[in-house]
Amino acid sequence: MKTITVGVLGAGRIGRLHTENLFRMSGVRVKSIADPYADFDAWPPPGIETGVDPSLVLDDPEIQAVLICSPTPTHADFTEAAATAGKHVFCEKPIDLDPERIRCTLEVVDAAGVRLQVGFNRRFDPTFSRVRQAVIDGDVGDIHIVKITSRDPEAPPVEYVQSSGGIFLDMTIHDFDMVRFLTGSEVEEVHAMGAVLIDPAIGEAGDVDTAVTTLKMANGALAVIENSRQAVYGYDQRVEVFGSKGSAEAGNETANRVILSSADGVRADTPLYFFLERYQASFVAELEAFFACIRDDLEPPVGGRDGLMSVLVGLAAAKSMAENRPVKVEAS
Amino acid sequence: MNQTTVGVIGAGRIGRMHTENLVHHIPEAVVKAVASPHLDEGWAEGLGIPIRSTDNSAVFGDPEIEAVVIAAPSGLHSELIQQAAAAGKHVFCEKPVGFEDGPIEDAIAAAQAAGVQLQVGFNRRSDPSLLDLVEAVRDGHIGDVHTVRVTNRDPKAPPIDFVKRSGGIFLDFLIHDFDTIRYLSGSEIVEVYAAGGVLIDPEIGAAGDIDTAMVTARLANGALAVIDASRQAVYGYDQRFEVFGSNGSVAVDNTTPSRRVVSTTAGVVGRTPHDGFVSRYHDAFIAELRAFLAAVRGDSPVVAGADDALAAVRAAVAARESFNQNRPIQLADTVPVYGGGTEA
Repeated sequence: MKTITVGVLGAGRIGRLHTENLFRMSGVRVKSIADPYADFDAWPPPGIETGVDPSLVLDDPEIQAVLICSPTPTHADFTEAAATAGKHVFCEKPIDLDPERIRCTLEVVDAAGVRLQVGFNRRFDPTFSRVRQAVIDGDVGDIHIVKITSRDPEAPPVEYVQSSGGIFLDMTIHDFDMVRFLTGSEVEEVHAMGAVLIDPAIGEAGDVDTAVTTLKMANGALAVIENSRQAVYGYDQRVEVFGSKGSAEAGNETANRVILSSADGVRADTPLYFFLERYQASFVAELEAFFACIRDDLEPPVGGRDGLMSVLVGLAAAKSMAENRPVKVEAS
Repeated sequence: MNQTTVGVIGAGRIGRMHTENLVHHIPEAVVKAVASPHLDEGWAEGLGIPIRSTDNSAVFGDPEIEAVVIAAPSGLHSELIQQAAAAGKHVFCEKPVGFEDGPIEDAIAAAQAAGVQLQVGFNRRSDPSLLDLVEAVRDGHIGDVHTVRVTNRDPKAPPIDFVKRSGGIFLDFLIHDFDTIRYLSGSEIVEVYAAGGVLIDPEIGAAGDIDTAMVTARLANGALAVIDASRQAVYGYDQRFEVFGSNGSVAVDNTTPSRRVVSTTAGVVGRTPHDGFVSRYHDAFIAELRAFLAAVRGDSPVVAGADDALAAVRAAVAARESFNQNRPIQLADTVPVYGGGTEA
């Protein structure tokens, strides 16, 4: 297998996670990592070039693919710069919060003829992939209802909420992509109802912490997403696809399958704590898929258009909640 | 035992079920009469019911009958309640009491004027699992309620002639879910948004109804609720409930007639859920009638009263309007005025 040389932009939590995964991956070599704020004393291990300037990665002719794991406002700039330099791009979601900007970026990527994959890792989760496979195999028949439960284990700090773009673009965006993935259909209309039930500071920051979003799909199916910023028992991630022939359902995953029965009740351990634990396998699988597409010259399974659509749905949801009415999703 | 003499109006699917429960499982009741325009004489005779008639006056005109069970088509409920009340009889009536406020208010007023008990057939309030779930909520195990979730899917779409006189999916089917949301949350529905479609049977669409519905509701206590409903789940009667809150969640999953699991190379196969409401809510249907009879004897209040009937119908009507107009609908801020309270 021909080795692909990779550079990473951003050495925060997700950047480190991806880089560590790359270290264990065959056919990939991490050459350099750039981050203006990172302290590179303890990490990465020796042999990797580090620097504060993105040009370390972007201007290196040897680097064939770039992972963009920097803060959201830099995603579009870095994607365009990397593409223009002829590098394939893996970009964390969202590409940008402005659809016009995303469209411009996608044009740049198209013109450069490089591959772009967006970090909707949940599509690569073995459990949710199996649900999608059941849909493809026709096990559920025509899809009637999709139900997604997506609850974080703890509410983020208010400073994070303030710069997150709001719950729909920050959190529900994964669920919008999951509905598109599971159904293979597009979202036509959105209705969102939200509430501040966990932390009044989130409300003061102009956001909500609890939301129920209804989606009308192009194939006629209905979808509902239930979000909470805080489920005290852990990361609650469940999906269900219901149709004319039955349903496919995925429950939460736990670290073990032990059942403790006592006079007080029958107890299992709580779900895996958060996304790093729950979606560990998917983070590896999404990068493996990205590099396989580069090698085989194929379109990545989650491309720029998927990145754009989820943002368009998120904006429609935010508008729906603000105006308290169903909102049509803008065409891509 | 102090037995209550009961008459039954309507002997369709649900009327026959209630009658059989009264005869076989409820010793504190004696079924004296059953009336239905399409009465199966042999069935009623087999149950040992002495008066079998196609005329409701056989029930309403019998001074010995203290309480009636009304299981006639929904459109007749209000009128029948008024007739029963006028005859001084306590009333257990299937849901919905009416398709709009007016007839329900007339029925409630008639029951109040006559001083008789009126209980509505919200059977889930008597289901052992849901009673247990509510206890966990009331006892504060999950803290403040944030979301309430109800999955309600029938095993098989009803016949078209039933759909046509059912009052539509919101009043006929989701009415249970609106009541369940009020029951589980202990709060009132103040806003609804309904999406829906005809995904199962085009005939249902041709009859002016839908077969798949999704409703989001906002409650007076600030919580949100969601209902997903389908007229046909091929794997059985899908009834799931979850209340999520600041300290955790409490859920009731589907129940199955058997706990058998077969594991082979082809997979691990358990039994599908119950095949319909009769078996899933068997215990609840008996318990709700026993509660009604206890109320008739003056031992305890009814488990689902006039105010509950009105509130559920108002939510259902609002959901229907929301679907028709494709916009969220605010319910009137006023809660029903007919006493009885909604707190369990």
